[in-house]
Amino acid sequence: MKNPINTLPTTRREFFKLAGGGIGLLAFSRFAPSFLVQSTLAAVPAPERDRGILVIVQLAGGNDGLNTLIPFEDAQYYRLRPTLAIDKKNVLRLSGTLGLHPGCAELGALFQEGKLGIVQNVGYPNPNRSHFRSSEIWESASDSDRFVSTGWIGRFLDNTCSGAPGAPANTAAGADPLAVHLSGEVPQSFLAGRAHSTFGLNPDLLRRRGNKDNLKFLETLVNESTGADPGGQDNNSFLKQTMMDALVTEKRVQKVLTDYKPGVAYPGGAFAQSLRNIAGLIAAGLSTRVYFVSLGGFDTHHNQAAPHQNLMRALSQGLSAFQKDLEAHGLSDQVVTMTFSEFGRRPMENESKGTDHGTAAPLFVMGAKIKGGLHGTPPSLDLKRNQDLAFSTDFRQVYATVLDRWFNCPPDAILGKPYHPLSFL
Amino acid sequence: METTTGASTSRSARPPASALSPHEAWQPLPAAHWDAAAARHLFRRAAWSAQPADIKRAVDEGLPATLDRLFPAPIALFDKPKPVAEYENGIPAHAAKLKTAATPDEKRELQKIARERSRQSLQNMAVQWLSFAARPQLSAQEKWVLFLGDIYVVSYEKVNRSDQIWTHHDILRRHSLGPAPALAKAVSRSPAMIRYLDLQASKRDAPNENFARELFELFILGEGNYTEKDIKEAARAFTGYRLDKDGGFYFAPKQHDNTPKTVFGQTGAFTGDDIIDLAFRQPAAATFVPREMARFYLSDHPIDENQLAALGAWWAGQKHDLRALAHRFFGSRLFYAPDYRGNFIKNPLQYYFSLLQDLRLDVTPAPRLTVAPLRQMGLHLYNPPNVRGWVGGRSWINSATLGARRQFAQSLFTPIDEKKINADEKAEFDAARAAGNGRFTVNNRTLQRFVDMPPEQIADIFLREFLPVKVSPGYRESIIRHLAGDGNQQPARVLARIRDTAITLLQSPEYQLC
Repeated sequence: MKNPINTLPTTRREFFKLAGGGIGLLAFSRFAPSFLVQSTLAAVPAPERDRGILVIVQLAGGNDGLNTLIPFEDAQYYRLRPTLAIDKKNVLRLSGTLGLHPGCAELGALFQEGKLGIVQNVGYPNPNRSHFRSSEIWESASDSDRFVSTGWIGRFLDNTCSGAPGAPANTAAGADPLAVHLSGEVPQSFLAGRAHSTFGLNPDLLRRRGNKDNLKFLETLVNESTGADPGGQDNNSFLKQTMMDALVTEKRVQKVLTDYKPGVAYPGGAFAQSLRNIAGLIAAGLSTRVYFVSLGGFDTHHNQAAPHQNLMRALSQGLSAFQKDLEAHGLSDQVVTMTFSEFGRRPMENESKGTDHGTAAPLFVMGAKIKGGLHGTPPSLDLKRNQDLAFSTDFRQVYATVLDRWFNCPPDAILGKPYHPLSFL
Repeated sequence: METTTGASTSRSARPPASALSPHEAWQPLPAAHWDAAAARHLFRRAAWSAQPADIKRAVDEGLPATLDRLFPAPIALFDKPKPVAEYENGIPAHAAKLKTAATPDEKRELQKIARERSRQSLQNMAVQWLSFAARPQLSAQEKWVLFLGDIYVVSYEKVNRSDQIWTHHDILRRHSLGPAPALAKAVSRSPAMIRYLDLQASKRDAPNENFARELFELFILGEGNYTEKDIKEAARAFTGYRLDKDGGFYFAPKQHDNTPKTVFGQTGAFTGDDIIDLAFRQPAAATFVPREMARFYLSDHPIDENQLAALGAWWAGQKHDLRALAHRFFGSRLFYAPDYRGNFIKNPLQYYFSLLQDLRLDVTPAPRLTVAPLRQMGLHLYNPPNVRGWVGGRSWINSATLGARRQFAQSLFTPIDEKKINADEKAEFDAARAAGNGRFTVNNRTLQRFVDMPPEQIADIFLREFLPVKVSPGYRESIIRHLAGDGNQQPARVLARIRDTAITLLQSPEYQLC
């Protein structure tokens, strides 16, 4: 076990010990979390904590791929981007022809260390340019003309968890959520065919003063009688029990985050803080397999240059701090991080010094076990007016690679058909 | 001030459901039992929420008049949304282009564009319908349409045409309070249903049984009340139901099998409509809709079969009239029995609408902030999981959906980040605001009216307006304590505590009930 900082209760005894030290009312709950009740029934196998963890970083709004990975020797790039092109001398060179946005200094360093891979020109056939629909396609991993109501992570959870017959979702081992998102909304990727323990940590709430008090208040209400019969069969008791399970998780998570000592200083901003929190949860040894975090603001239709630069900086500094933190805790072997965005932007800039919705874009994969460097092929920029990029790598090839080589999960079952894996893992 | 205790004493004096004889169960609730608590129960179950002004009016006017208003004679129609009409009007031109497409690629591209138009207009329709159904005066009607749609299920995933989904719901709505056989006949001509259950693939020489089977099993009778032979014979009667090239219903006599069929022991050259009439003459038809009503509106536990049979017998005598059934059901002694008060789990739409109405908010005109959260709560609008519709009850609740509910409640108290609104959403926001429907989130101004009230008074208002259950003194005390907080009387701090208390109550297990 690499991480001795596991402060989470996994047995009834531990739970009550901890409860005395601050978990508070939960210990006296008449609506005891069901994992406590169940853990007395059977010897629970230890949670497997050495399995690979995936961190998904959503760049919401549609990241401008062409100004992220820049073909600085291509005259077409400068033709398409009369005002928005990044000057050749400012590009952070990765190869003879390609380089990163100048805001990505830290990512450039990771690339040089072989810890960052860039998959070029990722998209899908018959691209859709609606934010909502294209996000749905990425998160459900469906073809653009098919509608799938589950997400690729949800199906992965359906698949992995079917192998443990009779193991209730709320045993001590299963008390850790299988997937955690740090976003205001539950990602569509998490939608599953069956119910799994997933957990949302709203970054806006964490920052808010008084959130802890609210949580405690909700906990009090759950415990207060409304005529519901503890252990009873009525709907109110059922709701109270289900909510108590969720609150226990929330408390444990909050305690972990409060106690966490990062190995590096994270930059300011909600995105970096969310990454810090993910590192904290990983370091605490949760058996959670997937984390999802979102960085928004990429829908840059007007005066794109300055906001995009800020976003690139936030992404680069945040990811780099996260990777260094994992290294400091000796956890970097366990984690792969990948980015995605619903689409790239139109190669030709618009009349308002911005860019409109486009198609393919590069995405980042990061981790100690990653084969760094450039993967796939760059797009051709020999384009007509307002023409879009033709993708060369299907995003489901990226998923297939992660599922197969990181999760040891048969990708065809999740993705519905075979996709050729890539070489970054 | 009316207290929850007062309401409950009068309630506990009522006999439990089991004490009512089958005959008594459906007798009108005695006028003396009609009080504010009963009215709140009615509004929370038959509509989305119990608003104080509605409750006062309902108590003043009495139960029969209230039912007349909830299930009125003239039905309000939901107009076809403009994008749906535009999509529909473009279909002939699209078909012509498709015919002249030179290559398979070109054809695929055209089909893709049409699908996308359909899908976007569906999203638009979803948001517009949410606004329509959120209107207090239409809430009971639209919940009733939702109920009928949970019987006569279609799914966009298979139908793939927004205009047909709209038409299907328009049919349900127009026939929602008339005779049930007329509704069934109209639905058998609904293009969405014809596609969903493969009726257009049913040929004279090769009848498709899908529709006939679901008609008996899921729409009119229930399993076990027909034979396989009944289905085979009935399927022949529904041959010839076709969709024309624009997707409208027509009857193709040449494809119709007009030879005699034997269904439920009777023989004749039956048409589809005859089959529906025959089915409604089966005893099982009398209890089918009442049983579904009890499941959708009343309880997860099946109600007593003898009580059900009594209602069914009465309903059959009313020629299966749906308005009569609604009035009988929602006006009955059984409906108000203590067993059924405040213990039913809200479905995601009910949770959504009750939040909007309790907080007096407008529907946010963006699928991302409406359709998507509903989906996270487990309800994918226009896409029920299968032909049985939604399972309901506890199946709505798990840690993920409960988390989604909590986050949604929280989001209604958080200003929408205008910077994060996508350009295509901006126009919809502006239009809603221009129409005076721009209250998307609760702001401090809304909560201002509570600032000068003592915590006890705020607690009582919140409890009465939000929660359908009687709470213990301790529960009320905790709310008062949270409102009082550290005693800091700075207006901003007081407001923050009121806001936090409201959010927490709306997230509580009790608020998930109705």
